[in-house]
Amino acid sequence: MNAIDISGLCKQFKGKKMTRVDALKNLDLQIVPGEVFGYLGPNGAGKSTTIKCLMGLIRPTAGTATIMGEPVGSVASRTKVGFLPENPAFYDYLSAEEYLRFVGKTFRMPEALLSRRTDETLKLLELWDARKRPMRGYSKGMVQRVGLAQTMIHDPDLYILDEPMSGLDPIGRALVKEIILDLKKRGKSVFFSTHITDDVEKVCDRVGVIVKGQLEALDSVENIVRKGIEGYIVQTRLGQGEHDSLKGFNITRRNETFVEYFVPVAGFNEFIALAGHHSVEVTLVETKRKDLESFFLEIVRKGNS
Amino acid sequence: MLNIMAISLKGIFRDRIFQGIMGLAVLFLFIPSAASLSMRQVTELSITLSLSLISFIMLLLAVFLGATSIWKDIERRYTYSILSLPLSRTAYLLGRFLGIALFMLLTALFLGGVAMLAIKVASVLYPPARPVLWIAVLASILYGTLKYILLVAVSMLLATVSTSFFLPVFGTICTYLAGSITQQVYDYLHTPAAVKAISPIMKQAALFFYYLLPNLSAFDLKVNAIYALPLNASGLLMTALYFIVYTSVLLAAGAILLGRREMK
Ligand SMILES: Nc1ncnc2c1ncn2[C@@H]1O[C@H](COP(=O)(O)OP(=O)(O)OP(=O)(O)O)[C@@H](O)[C@H]1O
Ligand SMILES: [Mg+2]
Repeated sequence: MNAIDISGLCKQFKGKKMTRVDALKNLDLQIVPGEVFGYLGPNGAGKSTTIKCLMGLIRPTAGTATIMGEPVGSVASRTKVGFLPENPAFYDYLSAEEYLRFVGKTFRMPEALLSRRTDETLKLLELWDARKRPMRGYSKGMVQRVGLAQTMIHDPDLYILDEPMSGLDPIGRALVKEIILDLKKRGKSVFFSTHITDDVEKVCDRVGVIVKGQLEALDSVENIVRKGIEGYIVQTRLGQGEHDSLKGFNITRRNETFVEYFVPVAGFNEFIALAGHHSVEVTLVETKRKDLESFFLEIVRKGNS
Repeated sequence: MLNIMAISLKGIFRDRIFQGIMGLAVLFLFIPSAASLSMRQVTELSITLSLSLISFIMLLLAVFLGATSIWKDIERRYTYSILSLPLSRTAYLLGRFLGIALFMLLTALFLGGVAMLAIKVASVLYPPARPVLWIAVLASILYGTLKYILLVAVSMLLATVSTSFFLPVFGTICTYLAGSITQQVYDYLHTPAAVKAISPIMKQAALFFYYLLPNLSAFDLKVNAIYALPLNASGLLMTALYFIVYTSVLLAAGAILLGRREMK
């Protein structure tokens, strides 16, 4: 059974004066248990719309989706999920501790476990000192931390997070990455949306890129990284062997002792053979690849045209 | 649902509007002395003033708590975090309603206690012609509370479809005003004078509203309380049943509408 199973999902928003926005167009997507999935897309691509459909906050125009086998919109589909809304807001007259206890009770956690988990999560997200203060007085990042804490309190099997890193300082972001990696280690599934490709590269198993409501790419991070390899930077020592034999390759840098060549993937074997044959000492080989960012930008450009 | 109810209750107690409205309760202290200015029927006047003050406070609470609770949750985007919990929208609505209803009941008991104290003081200082019928005073306060709880259900129903607080607030006030006079209109329609003067279509329209709007005058037992008139048990029972049925219908409609609403 898939953790999330979306098939043929469409969402059309009706605006004023009969205008219509197709926020989601025929989306198919499966998240398997234990997977960390990064949902990338530019502003207004339809990420939050997808997530709101999953959480039953809005009704899809067409298509179906299930969470842990339960159809979205049902109470049962929400029992095993920790959900973080985009720019979350919580009853601000409550303190973080009170709110976490409220969430835990809604998930029917036994009292002893709830107390223990409340303390643990508050400490983990560094809200311990502020835990008794009403959330009215919290900063944006602190509210975001409460949002993360309330997804974890009941230790669900699936996490659905809409921009979990937004509003956090670098330390907070690193913490979130660490938390996600830890969840992965414990076999949990995580589905999160983001704009930051760097985060995706570090924690995700797979990514999907959505542009204008359409899923434009869906692949494992490993594949994307491998496909992104453009060639190699090869460094050789000067004053040794015949460098003239390598004239066919572009030199990217040189100084008194070293030369650096750019070698395309297809030419790598030839380069090494030539170097070996003419006694050129290779001192360093580095892969040169497009990062996820340029992969992302390329897809967005393609999706927009 | 109980969970939501507890949270609602906590929210009301920490709310500034509530604290402001409760400040009005201080006025009770002045009731005996204000009533004594009239020199005659001081106890009766004290009862009138007390019950009116309670009514006024309860009306304010009903309109503001009922109209703002759900509307504020949607407006401030609390619904994203609340309705994504394993909790049905019906349970959320009922929890919110019960929280407010319980709070109204507690407030009525508290204000009623204070009012009775004020009336007692007046009746000792200026003994009335007929002894105070405490049970009628109590019933009047209790049925008043039911009336305002019903209004809370009205405002919550309006809030489930509204995108601004305008409709729930003013809709509730209008329902209150109209609901208080429907009985009079109904009675008037059946007088011989009205039968001649009013066209059948108008009459049909008026009857339609009579059956649609809540009949709030049935909950009004002030006269019994003020003049120590005995209560009509079967009438009270009917009114209580009416309250239960009408409120349930309002809440059921609210639950259906909220269930269909998109949290965009
Ligand atoms: N309530 C709404 N009414 C009309 N259109 C809407 C509504 N909500 C979203 N949309 C439209 O749907 C599209 C997708 O919006 P969505 O919020 O899903 O984007 P997103 O990918 O989450 O963007 P961001 O990165 O800015 O959060 C946008 O074109 C937006 O204008
Ligand atoms: Mg979004």
